[in-house]
Amino acid sequence: MSSEGPDLVCEVDNVQGIVDALTAVRWKRQQDAVVELSEHGVVLIVEESSCLQAKVYLQREIEIRCYIVFYILRSVDSLDACIYAEIRTRIPETISWDYNFEPAGTTPLSFTVKCLPLTIQTVIFKPQSAALKEAIDDLEWPGSSVQIILQPDPPSVTFKGEGHGDLQIDFMYYVNTDLLIAFSCDRQVSYRYKYKFLQATTSNIPSSVIRDNRGSKLTIGRGGMLKVQHLVSVARPSIPHPHIDSAGYQQPSRIAYIEFFVKPEEDESTIND
Amino acid sequence: MKFKAFLTENGVNLLEKRFLPALDKMGKICHLYLTRDHTMFLHNLLNGDGIQSVAQFRKEALFDDYRISSQNEDRIAFAIDISLLQRAVRSSVSICTEFGSGPTQNRLQIKLVKKLPPNCTQPMPFLTFETKGYKSAVIQDVPISKPFSRAQVIELQTGLDMAQDLPQTLVQVPDLNQLQNFVDRLKHVGDLLNVSISKYGDLLVQISTTLITVGAEFQKLLVIGEQADAPAEDRNLSAQTRSARAILRGDAQSVQVSVKHFAKSLQCHLAKPDCAFYGIAPQGACLTVIFQFFIPGSRQTDKSISLHCRLPVLDPGSS
Repeated sequence: MSSEGPDLVCEVDNVQGIVDALTAVRWKRQQDAVVELSEHGVVLIVEESSCLQAKVYLQREIEIRCYIVFYILRSVDSLDACIYAEIRTRIPETISWDYNFEPAGTTPLSFTVKCLPLTIQTVIFKPQSAALKEAIDDLEWPGSSVQIILQPDPPSVTFKGEGHGDLQIDFMYYVNTDLLIAFSCDRQVSYRYKYKFLQATTSNIPSSVIRDNRGSKLTIGRGGMLKVQHLVSVARPSIPHPHIDSAGYQQPSRIAYIEFFVKPEEDESTIND
Repeated sequence: MKFKAFLTENGVNLLEKRFLPALDKMGKICHLYLTRDHTMFLHNLLNGDGIQSVAQFRKEALFDDYRISSQNEDRIAFAIDISLLQRAVRSSVSICTEFGSGPTQNRLQIKLVKKLPPNCTQPMPFLTFETKGYKSAVIQDVPISKPFSRAQVIELQTGLDMAQDLPQTLVQVPDLNQLQNFVDRLKHVGDLLNVSISKYGDLLVQISTTLITVGAEFQKLLVIGEQADAPAEDRNLSAQTRSARAILRGDAQSVQVSVKHFAKSLQCHLAKPDCAFYGIAPQGACLTVIFQFFIPGSRQTDKSISLHCRLPVLDPGSS
């Protein structure tokens, strides 16, 4: 390694996008991350007690000259001033679990929620929507885990909690089309996930990202592994295009993919594959 | 021991809106040192470990009809709580302005008194603010320490004399707010800040922990004192490497100070200085920041006001 000049150069036109992506996967103060650098870009992996894993994919943006050693963040405010940072790497104490996410069957078990973080935060975890508030005052999610049930007939997603009292929220696909953008399910499945892990998949997404969010996809894979996918824009905010629809085109390199994997609680095997 | 003076309108403005808010950030208690010609607010000159700050005013900058006498060459010094002083000045201003917009001239008198407070057997020293409103007069007593003995005054004067050494190279910081924003973020990273200043006009502030190094570099700043041209071969090197090479060449100095002290020194922008210069004292004794004030509406230094801070160096570093 030469003393001058890093081995990898990666230029980013909007640091805020990366900050947003990193914020989204940060759920505690001291949190180690494994960084993978390759010619395709940067992948950042964070884990919690081998039950929750988050991955951030920052795709290749401009130029990657060769392979890693360390990387330098440098922002140029003006010609004569700069801010730089150097993060020393260390060998991770544990190897991150590389779960091969496999579909549970021929038909994917998935649903896409418009603006998931907001939905989860306001409707599911802290119900504040007017309708719910009328029904149940001071609603709190009971117990430490949440059961997610997907069923094809009628197509619906159910969030269910039991503890000191029960709480069940049903989203009927045909009723909540403004909320559930897509739905795919050919048989009923049900898994239980730790509340705090489910919350970690959405709670830290910065509000600026929620605004741009096009929907978050939740997929249940084999063994009940839950995958939550968000897309975060890392491009400089530009003038919004008047014709951007749900399939609106955005340059792939301007998007950071954030994926969370949540393992189900093991004791639960009600109606599974 | 007698002290009596009228605060001028300009003096009230200087203290209330600018200097007292800034000095309050330096530390709750300061020494007020009054001489025949000057009024000084001094922080940490007697005990070595904190950030030292010296704010000095010629008597005309603050007062009218300034009368001082003591058996100690007309010098008086005592400790005072800045926030109490600030409150007294502030409420005096509100009383003065409450009734019409007339001039505050000769309406705000301050003097040193000894009074017997309620439930006390011993008289206590106070700095008294007497404010004459339209129909009323309000008297506020700010408690102060026992005035310094001759030996204590000499000690304070010695500390003041020792705090006057000037760095050989001073660089002007272009934007105090920008630097303050940056340092406020750095406070979360670590406690020790490395500051390097070169004769080329480079200022480097950097924090290093076992895992991360974060820094900011400002280049081509205005230099006062010893200066040199930056070597052309260094141009494309990183900030850290250039700084290290400049130190090796003897063209730069580097010291380590507390981030908290550095952030405090930046709080002096509350005093609304027109310029700020950072420099490292000879042998890396301390990091000095000197604030410059212009005569309003000009680019000429107002010599009746001065403010500078000295940040203790935690590790001599490379000098």
